[in-house]
Amino acid sequence: MIHTASLLIPLAWRNLWRNRRRTFVILFAISLGVWAMIFTSAFLRGMSQQILDDTIYNLTGHIQIHAKQYLDDPVIDHRFSLIDDALFDSLNHPAIKQISARVRVPAVVASEQDSTGVTLFGIDPENEGDISFLQSSIIAGRYLDTAADPGVVIGKKLAERLETGLGKRIVVMSQDKNNEIVDRGVRIVGIFDSQMDGLESSCIFMGLQTSESLLKIKNDVSEVAIILHDSAQLEMITRQLQQENPHLDIQSWKQLEPLALVITELYDDFHIVWHLIVFLAMGFGIVNTLLMAVFERTREFGLFQSLGMKPGFILAQVWIESIFLIVLGLVLGNLTGWLSVLATGDGIDVSAFAQGMEMVNLSNVIPFVIIQDDLLLANLVVIILGMLTSLYPAWHASRLVPADAITRV
Amino acid sequence: MTKSIIKQFSFILLLTGSFNAGAEDARQLIKNAIDHFRGLSSYSEVSMVIHRPDWERTLDMKIWTRGLDRSLVRITAPVKDRGNGSLLIDNDMWTYAPKINRIIKIPASMANQSWMGSDFSNNDVARADDLIEKYNHRILQTQQQQDIKIYVIESIPHDDAPVVWGKEVITVREDYILLRHEFFDQDNQLVKYLVADDIKQFGDKKLATVERMQKVGVENEWTEFRLNHIKFNIELGEHAFSLSNLRNPRF
Repeated sequence: MIHTASLLIPLAWRNLWRNRRRTFVILFAISLGVWAMIFTSAFLRGMSQQILDDTIYNLTGHIQIHAKQYLDDPVIDHRFSLIDDALFDSLNHPAIKQISARVRVPAVVASEQDSTGVTLFGIDPENEGDISFLQSSIIAGRYLDTAADPGVVIGKKLAERLETGLGKRIVVMSQDKNNEIVDRGVRIVGIFDSQMDGLESSCIFMGLQTSESLLKIKNDVSEVAIILHDSAQLEMITRQLQQENPHLDIQSWKQLEPLALVITELYDDFHIVWHLIVFLAMGFGIVNTLLMAVFERTREFGLFQSLGMKPGFILAQVWIESIFLIVLGLVLGNLTGWLSVLATGDGIDVSAFAQGMEMVNLSNVIPFVIIQDDLLLANLVVIILGMLTSLYPAWHASRLVPADAITRV
Repeated sequence: MTKSIIKQFSFILLLTGSFNAGAEDARQLIKNAIDHFRGLSSYSEVSMVIHRPDWERTLDMKIWTRGLDRSLVRITAPVKDRGNGSLLIDNDMWTYAPKINRIIKIPASMANQSWMGSDFSNNDVARADDLIEKYNHRILQTQQQQDIKIYVIESIPHDDAPVVWGKEVITVREDYILLRHEFFDQDNQLVKYLVADDIKQFGDKKLATVERMQKVGVENEWTEFRLNHIKFNIELGEHAFSLSNLRNPRF
């Protein structure tokens, strides 16, 4: 066996370089295909991770806690107390990195010119830091200082719509716990520009305590958002919290944001489809090139057989040749793929299409992300399918009848 | 040492005292102006004219008020709108539409929308008394017009007052007849103003019988109230301002 291999491997290797130009062309085709697979899946992966991050770090968090019925009817009646020992104990879990409690109720804001419905968030600015985009997207004024900050932060689009601006007062109206209308003038202390239109025109942010006093709900909140250290523990922690607090509605982002989940899953599945499409094109190239090589060497194979080489050996020889080609192509493709992802740095800037991207809730810079699984998948697809398809020319070579082959011109 | 502190303290007291007195005057003037128009209770018949560039319509209505926090408005003409009503209790407002036989509580979200299609917002109608409590008032100037003194009062809302305006400037006569009420945005631009005119005697009171609310920049659009008849200090029980009376008029 080793003897056979030591005969066939050098033979295949040398055959590979008999027609350099052809070998280089097919190497180019294979590495281009592999590069396309890696680069595209890095792009898709970056996009889906960004959607995930945008979902989770835009107020959602990994897990959210609400009062029962809040999700169906997000009004002030469906709130819960934060001074709840059971809840407090179960939130004191080592896997939980950060929790942020919020008041989140429908409200109306009015300026001199216009009024519109919004969602009023009462937040504790310190805890909110990592969970939401807010702190990093202030474009004018400042972020909220404390939970008792008397000011509000509103989006740029909303400010435009209300024809108001930084330092001006707006009136916030909502319903308190007795369903009485409450309203109060508040000064705009900050304006944020989120990359997502929806948030910008429909949310206003107030200190948690300020909003609790406005709505007369001391220490009650509408929502608690949780960030975990490790997202792999999502299901486990969610289940544990659910068991410990049966009176509350506790859900992971997968239930809260089914659209984001579907989109990311779709992107993941699309990797495979894309790999197959690329391989289909590449596979025809490989088969065609090898068939040409086989036809060119018909006399040679006839001679080998006449000299007593078994058809199996001929098959193995051609097959090894194509494996060399594929492996070389893979190495080159992986290398160029990795280099080109490195070259893009933080990602590609698609701000030329910013408006369109904002519409589908994507940011302007899409990062490229290579993960092991994607690399493995691309390489496995090429190796396995490549070996299978190149069996055909190899089999073809081994099927030649020596007498015919040797006499063919 | 102690002496100087006491001195300083009494000086500050004096200062704030005198400052308050000025503010109190302005505030009292506005309160009196509102009381003057409303009385302890009142019944009036009013026409509201809504004027737009290509149409104009007139609604006749009856209005009952008691104190600052109870009022009931009922439309009497045109026939199409007869029976429509609004009830105001404290800061809550309900409307009744006979066509759908429904009473609707005006939610916060509609507080800034126009009241019955006019240039008045629901808030303008419902929150008159806020003008006294939630503003700092100051007399800007006093004028003399024939024998009557006229005060121009600037009212700046408190920071947390549920008021969108930057300031309001109210012109009121010394006999508490409101002449002009201007609404400024927070950049000190005039947004809309109310002008009162045609002062007439009703019993022992003088009242402006025409009040026009106009937005700045759209000169051809305004809403005017014309007072046809008014009676003060009439007997009005609690039942007059109830939801059932809003729906089923008993007088």
